[in-house]
Amino acid sequence: MSSHESIIREPLITGDNITYAKITDDILVPVENMPNKAWWIGFTVASAGAMLWLYAVSYTFWYGIGSWGLNKTVGWAWDITGFVWWVGIGHAGTLISAVLLLFRQNWRNSINRSAEAMTIFAVICAATYVVSHMGRPWMALYTLPLPNQYGSLWVNFNSPLIWDVFAISTYFSVSLVFWYTGLLPDIATIRDRATGLRRKIYSVLSFGWNGSVKTWQRFEAVSLVLAGVATPLVLSVHTIVSMDFATSLEPGWHTTIFPPYFVAGAIFSGFAMVQTLMLVTRKVLGFENYITMFHIESMNKIILLTGSIVGVAYLTEFFIAYYSGGEYEQYTFLNRFIGPYWWAGCMMYGCNVLMTQLMWFKSVRTNIALSWGLSIIVNIGMWFERFVIIVVSLHRDFLPSSWAMFYPTWVDVSVFIGSIGVFFTLFLLFLRVLPAVAMAEVKLLLKSSSEQEKKKLLEQGHVGKEQAEFYKENLIKYDSVEQAEYSNI
Amino acid sequence: MESNKKYWKGLEELNNSPEFVEMNKSEFAEPLPIEEILSGAGLMAKTPRRDFLKALGFGVGAVTLAACQKVPVHKSIPYLIKPEEVTPGVANYYTSSYNGQSILVKTREGRPIKIEGNPDDLIGRGAIDAPGQTSVLDLYDISRLQNPLLNKDESSWDMIDGFVTKELAAIAAGGKKIRIVSSTVHSPSTQAVIAAFTAKYPTTKLINYDPISYTGIIQANQNSFGKAVLPHYHFEKADVIVSFGADFLGTWISPVEFMRQWVTNRNNASLENKKMSRHIQFEAGMSLTGTNADTRVPIKPSEEGLALVNLYNAISGTALPGSKPLSNKAAANSIALAAKELTAAKGRALVVCGSNDVAMQVLTNAINSLLGSYGTTIDLDNPYFKYAGNDAEFVEFVNEMKRGEIDAVFFLDSNPAYDYFNAKDFTQALAKVRLKVSFSDRSDETSSLCQVIATNHNYLEAWGDSNAFAGYYTIVQPAINPVYNSRQAEQSFLIWANNPVKDYYAFVRNNWETNLLPKVGLSGQGGWETLLQKGLIKTADVPATTYTFNKDLSGIAQSIINHSNQLAANGNTIELQVYPTINMGEGKRANNPWLQELPDSVSKVTWDNYAAISPTYAEKLGIKEGNVLKVTSGNHTVELPVLIQPGQAQQTISVALGYGRTSSGKVGTGVGKNAFPFLTFKNGTFQGSAQATISATGDVYNLAQTQTHHSVEGRNIIRETSFNKYLKDPSSANGRHESEHKTYTLWPEYNRPEYNWVMAIDLNSCTGCGACVAACNVENNVPVVGRDEVRRRREMHWIRIDRYYSFKEGNESVTEEKEINKLDNMDNVSVVYQPMLCQHCDHAPCETVCPVLATVHSSEGLNHMAYNRCVGTRYCANNCPYKVRRFNWFNYWNDSRFDNYLNNEHTQLVLNPDVTTRFRGVMEKCTMCIQRIQGGKLKAKLDQRNLKDGEIKTACQQTCPTNAIIFGNVNDPDSEVAKLLKSERTYYVLEELNVQPGIGYQVKVRNVNETLA
Repeated sequence: MSSHESIIREPLITGDNITYAKITDDILVPVENMPNKAWWIGFTVASAGAMLWLYAVSYTFWYGIGSWGLNKTVGWAWDITGFVWWVGIGHAGTLISAVLLLFRQNWRNSINRSAEAMTIFAVICAATYVVSHMGRPWMALYTLPLPNQYGSLWVNFNSPLIWDVFAISTYFSVSLVFWYTGLLPDIATIRDRATGLRRKIYSVLSFGWNGSVKTWQRFEAVSLVLAGVATPLVLSVHTIVSMDFATSLEPGWHTTIFPPYFVAGAIFSGFAMVQTLMLVTRKVLGFENYITMFHIESMNKIILLTGSIVGVAYLTEFFIAYYSGGEYEQYTFLNRFIGPYWWAGCMMYGCNVLMTQLMWFKSVRTNIALSWGLSIIVNIGMWFERFVIIVVSLHRDFLPSSWAMFYPTWVDVSVFIGSIGVFFTLFLLFLRVLPAVAMAEVKLLLKSSSEQEKKKLLEQGHVGKEQAEFYKENLIKYDSVEQAEYSNI
Repeated sequence: MESNKKYWKGLEELNNSPEFVEMNKSEFAEPLPIEEILSGAGLMAKTPRRDFLKALGFGVGAVTLAACQKVPVHKSIPYLIKPEEVTPGVANYYTSSYNGQSILVKTREGRPIKIEGNPDDLIGRGAIDAPGQTSVLDLYDISRLQNPLLNKDESSWDMIDGFVTKELAAIAAGGKKIRIVSSTVHSPSTQAVIAAFTAKYPTTKLINYDPISYTGIIQANQNSFGKAVLPHYHFEKADVIVSFGADFLGTWISPVEFMRQWVTNRNNASLENKKMSRHIQFEAGMSLTGTNADTRVPIKPSEEGLALVNLYNAISGTALPGSKPLSNKAAANSIALAAKELTAAKGRALVVCGSNDVAMQVLTNAINSLLGSYGTTIDLDNPYFKYAGNDAEFVEFVNEMKRGEIDAVFFLDSNPAYDYFNAKDFTQALAKVRLKVSFSDRSDETSSLCQVIATNHNYLEAWGDSNAFAGYYTIVQPAINPVYNSRQAEQSFLIWANNPVKDYYAFVRNNWETNLLPKVGLSGQGGWETLLQKGLIKTADVPATTYTFNKDLSGIAQSIINHSNQLAANGNTIELQVYPTINMGEGKRANNPWLQELPDSVSKVTWDNYAAISPTYAEKLGIKEGNVLKVTSGNHTVELPVLIQPGQAQQTISVALGYGRTSSGKVGTGVGKNAFPFLTFKNGTFQGSAQATISATGDVYNLAQTQTHHSVEGRNIIRETSFNKYLKDPSSANGRHESEHKTYTLWPEYNRPEYNWVMAIDLNSCTGCGACVAACNVENNVPVVGRDEVRRRREMHWIRIDRYYSFKEGNESVTEEKEINKLDNMDNVSVVYQPMLCQHCDHAPCETVCPVLATVHSSEGLNHMAYNRCVGTRYCANNCPYKVRRFNWFNYWNDSRFDNYLNNEHTQLVLNPDVTTRFRGVMEKCTMCIQRIQGGKLKAKLDQRNLKDGEIKTACQQTCPTNAIIFGNVNDPDSEVAKLLKSERTYYVLEELNVQPGIGYQVKVRNVNETLA
C-alpha cells in the first residue's frame, strides 16, 4: 500500500532506510535495554523530588493545613495554583490524541503517546492537590454522591467543586482508557519480541491482541469513538475548573470570560509542557527521525496561537474591569500591577504574552534551544497566571481590614517541587516500560509521509521542478535530514 | 548482731572451684555467639523455616501484647446524689462582683464558665468590659500555686499560720511598723478585716497603692474644695465634653460606666431627638476616647498644661501669670473653639484631664467651676471609692523600709516589684523587712521575694464585697469550691489577728447584716438571701451640691508651666508618654491568653506593646513600622518595636503599661516590655510623661496585628455624615437608592415563617472597645492561637472590630492609601470602628460553593455551619466578601504547640459545653450564638408562651456597654431590631453584591463643624 502524499507536504519521518522493523527497534531501545546513565540521573533526581512530596504531604496530613502559608484572607494559594497548573498541562494530551485525530492531523502520531502519558500523570498530580488541600482529607468521600444513612445527604450540586470532582474524574478515566487502547498494538509488539516473565506480563497487558484485520478494524473504530467522547472533555474540564473562580463573588474571579480563557490557557501550557518533554526525550532517546523539526514547529505555532488568545483574554479582562465601573473589580486589576505582588503580575503577562510573541519568527520556532527555553518560560508564566488569579485577587478584596499578604512556607514549596518530582518519576518509569512513540501509528505514515518515500519521488522525477524546490527549501530547517543528499537531486 | 549464715546455690559455689570462678564472670553459662553472628556468617546464614516461624510467632505475640495497652480511661462520675441546685445541662447564675461591678457568674455542672454583667448593675447595666469577660479563665490558670509557699517550699496552712503568728508576735513585741500594701481596698468587709487586724497589731497601716494612680485628682479636690475624693462624673449630662488626655471611654476611672453615659447623647434615640453631644479631645497618643471624639487634636504632653492654661484664660477672660499662646496653631485654634463651645454650654459642659499632676487637676477644677459643672456633670458628694491610692504614701513606705522601720509587710493584690517605677529601690528596701507575706495566687515578681505566699482565692472562689462608689455595695460570692489549696486573704488576716470570727463568710455576712443591709431596710436571713439574689444594694444618693473654686491659681499656673518646660523635648529628645491599655491595664492579668490575643482597640496589635510614633515624624527620622528602637528615659532603657500610629502627636512616643512581666506564668511572662520604670515621681504623684531619647537598633520585629491595612480606600463600606447634614436629611450618606434600582435574583426565595434573626449595629454607638470580641471568645470556645499565628493572620475571632483611619485635608476626607502617603499633615485623623462578623446573608455566597453542604441556611435566616460535614476546602472563606470565616489550621485543642487554654485538661474546664470545640481542618464562624437562640426558644416553649423581644441576647450584644449591637427577630415589627433597621441611617455593607446580608449598620455621625474644625 503505497499511497503517495503530495510532495509539498513536509515529511513526518526522516532518515534513510527506515523500515517497519527499524521503527520498532529504534523506539523499543529504552524498553528492551537497561537504562542508560542519563535516565538514572533523571530518575534519581525525580524520585528524590517524589520523596520530598511524600514527606511534605505527610507533614501536612499530620499537623494540618496550617503548615502551609495560608491565612484567613488567602484560603487558597500554592495548592490550587498547583492544581490548576497541572490540570492545564494535562490538556495537551487529549487535544493531540482526540481533536487532532478527528481533524486527521497525522503529525500527531509521533507525539500523542507521550502527550497522553503526560496528561495522565499531570492529572494525577492535580488530583493529589485536590485531596491534600482539604482540611480533613480523610473525609474526602463526602464529596462523592454516595448513598448514606444521613437521611440521604447529598453533595451540593450548586458547588463548582462538585463539578470539578466529576470533571476531573471523567477526564482522568477517559484519558486513561484512550491512552491504553492506543497502547494495545504496541504492547502486543513488545510481547512478541519479549521472553519469559516479561512476555507473560505484556501478554496479559495486550488483552490478547492478535493483529488480525478484525482486531485492527475494531481498534480503529474504538479509537474514533473515544476521540469523539474525549473531544468535548478538552473543552469541558478547564471550563469547569475556571468556574471554580468564575461562579464566585471574588473580584478577579467573577468573570464570564474565564471558560474560553482557561481552555486556551490550558492548551497553551499543555503544549509547552509537551514541548519541554519531547525535546529532551527526542535527544536522549534518539527519536530525531520520528519527532522532527516539523513537529517542533507545529507545536510552536499552536503555542503562539493559544498564547495570543490568552493575551487577548488578558486585555479583555482589563477592558471589562475598566468598562464595568465596579470599583472592586477595577482595584483588583490595578492591584496586579501596582500592588505588592506587581512582580507576579509582570511574570504572568511577560512570560505568557510578550515572550511567546517571539514565535512569530521562523528562526525562533525552528531553534531547538530557544523553543525549549520558551516552553519553560510558558510553564513558569502559566504558574504565575494562576498565582495571580488566586492569591493576588484574594489578598485584597472587598474589605481593606482583611487585606493580607501570603508567604509560602517550606511545605508549600516542597509540595509543589515534589509534585514535579512525582510527575517526572512517573514519566521516566513510563519511558522504561512502554514505547514513548506510538509505533503502530508511526508505521502508518512510513509509506506516505516519510522523507525516504518523498526522496524516492524526487529521484524518480515525477515531481515538478517548482514543487521540488519548495520541498527542498522546507527541508532546510530539519536537523535530522542530511541536507547534502538533496543538493544533487 | 551480724548474721554469719551463708547461702550457696550449689556445691561449686561452696567450694569456689577455679572453674566456677571463671564461669561466674560472664552472665551466661555458655558464651553467646555474638561475634559469629555479627561477623557475617551469622547474617548470611539461611533462616530455617522453624526459626522463621518462631520469630514470626514471637513478633506477632509481642506486637499483640504491646497493642493490648488499655485505651486511656476518662472517668466521669454521674451524680449519684444530685446536688439540689445542679441539673446537668442547665446553667446556674450566681451574683458576684468584678472590680466593683455587679456581675452574674454562669456555672455549668458546678464550673463557672462565663461572666455576664448584672442587668441591675449601676455601672454597666448588664455590660462588662473585656477584662471582666475574660476573668473567668484566671480561675483555671495553671500557673496558680496549688499550695501556699513558705520559704519557697510548698507548705500547709498550719505551718504558715504558725510561722506568721510567731513572727507577728515577735514583731508586735518589737513595736516596729507593719504595713499592708494593697491596690485600693474598697470592700467594706476587707476594710473591717484590716481594722480588726490593726486593732490586734496597732502599728499596722494600710497603704493603698494603685500603679495607675488617680492621686492627682484626689489631691486636687482636697486642695480646691477640701474633699479628697475621686468624683463621680456624669458624661450623660454633658453636651460639650473636652478631654485633655483622659481616656474615659477606655481606661480612665470607670470606662464601662462612662461609655454608657457618653453614648446616651449620641445613640439612635438621641439622634432621633435631634440631639448629639460634642466631644473634643486633646491628647498625645491615640486613645480609644480620642478615636471616638468629634474633634481630636494631637498635642504633646508638654503642651497639655499650656493648653489647659489657655483654655482657662479663654473661658475666664483673664490671663494667668506665665501664660503664653500655644505654638501649635491647630491646638490654639481648637482651644479657642472649645472655650467658646464650653462657655455656650455652661452647666452642661465637662472638662476632664487625664494627668496625674495635682496642679493640672486643680486648674481643671477651676475650669469646671467656671463652667458650672459641679453639681451637674461632676458630683463630689457621691464619690468613687475604687481608687484611693496615695503615691507619696507608697514612696514614703519604701523609704520606711529602707530606714529599717518596717518589720512586716503584707502584699494584697499588689505587685510593686513589677509596677513600681523604681522596682530596684523597692526590692532592695524590701530585703530589710523581717516578715514578708504575699497573698498572690502565683509566684510573681513581688511574691517571689516574700517568705510566705499565702495563696489567695480567685474571686470566683471567694466571699467578699465591694463599694465602687458612694452608696453602691455589691456582694462577691463564690461560684465554685476552691480549686486549689488556697485561702482567702481576709481569712488569713482574721486568723493571724486571732479574731473571734475566723470564717470569712461569717464575717462578711455579719458585716452586711449589721452595717450595710439595714441601710436599705433589709435584715436577717431574708435580707441576706435577697442580697445574694440581687447582688447589690444602693442607698439613696446624697444630693450633689455645687462647689465653687476660689483658690489662687498663680502658683498652680507657675507649677504647670514649669512642669511643661521640663517635659518639652529639645532637638535630641522626644516626649515619652506611658498609658494603660484596656486589655492589659496594670498588667496583673498578663497571664490571660484571651486578653493577650484581644487586639488593642486602636492599633490592633496583640501579644506585645510597642513604641507608637506618628507617621510624619517617623518618616522624618527614617523609621519604619517594626524597626526596633532603643528608648531611654531616666535610668530605664527598653527596646521596643515601632508602631506607626496616625494621630500620634509629633515628636512623641507612647508606650503601653502592663507588659513585660517577668514572672506572671506560662502565657504572660516575657510578653512585651515593662514601661512602668518610665513613670516618674514628681510633685508628689506618679507621672506618665517624661523626656526620652530614641535610637534605632537596626533590628526588625514583626508585630502581630489583626489588621494591617488601615484606610478604607474610598469604599462605601463605611458610611458617615456630619451632625449638621444629618439634621438636614437623616438619610444623608446612607447611600441607598432602593427605589431607583430593580434587583434581580438567581435564587429562589424562602419563607421564614416564625423567626428571621437579624442584627443592627450602630456605628455611632460603637466605641470599638472590644468587649464584644472577648465575650464571643468566652461564649463560643474560640481558640487562642498565639503571637506567631496572629502574625500569619490566623486569629480565630468570630467577631472583629475593623478600624479605619481617614485624614482630612481641607474639607476633603482622604481615605486612599496612595493619597494618604502624599499628605504632609497627617494630624487630622478621623477613626471609625466597624464590628464585623458573619452577616448571615440570605443569599450567602459561602453556601452555594460548599461542595458538601456543610454550610446551609436555616428557615430562621441563619447561616449554619455543620462542622462534622466540613471537609475543609476553604472555598466558603474565599468566597465570603466579609472575610469572617475562620479555618482551624491546626488542632488547637490537642496540639502542644498551642498551649494557651484549649489544649490543657484543666483550663478546658472553662469551655462552654453548649458549643462544640472544633477539630482541625474545619471552618467556623459566628453562629449568632445559636445555642442561646435554641435555649431561649426552648425556655419559651416550656413556659408555653411566645418568645419576648430581647429575651435572647447574643454574647456580643449582651456585653456591649453602649448597646451598639441589637439582635432580634425582624419578623416581629415591634422588635427593637426591626425598628432600628427602619432607621434612615441604616445601610448594609456591600449590599450591591445582592448577598442580602442580615446585619444592618447605622451611619456614623460626627458632630463636627465643617467650617471651624
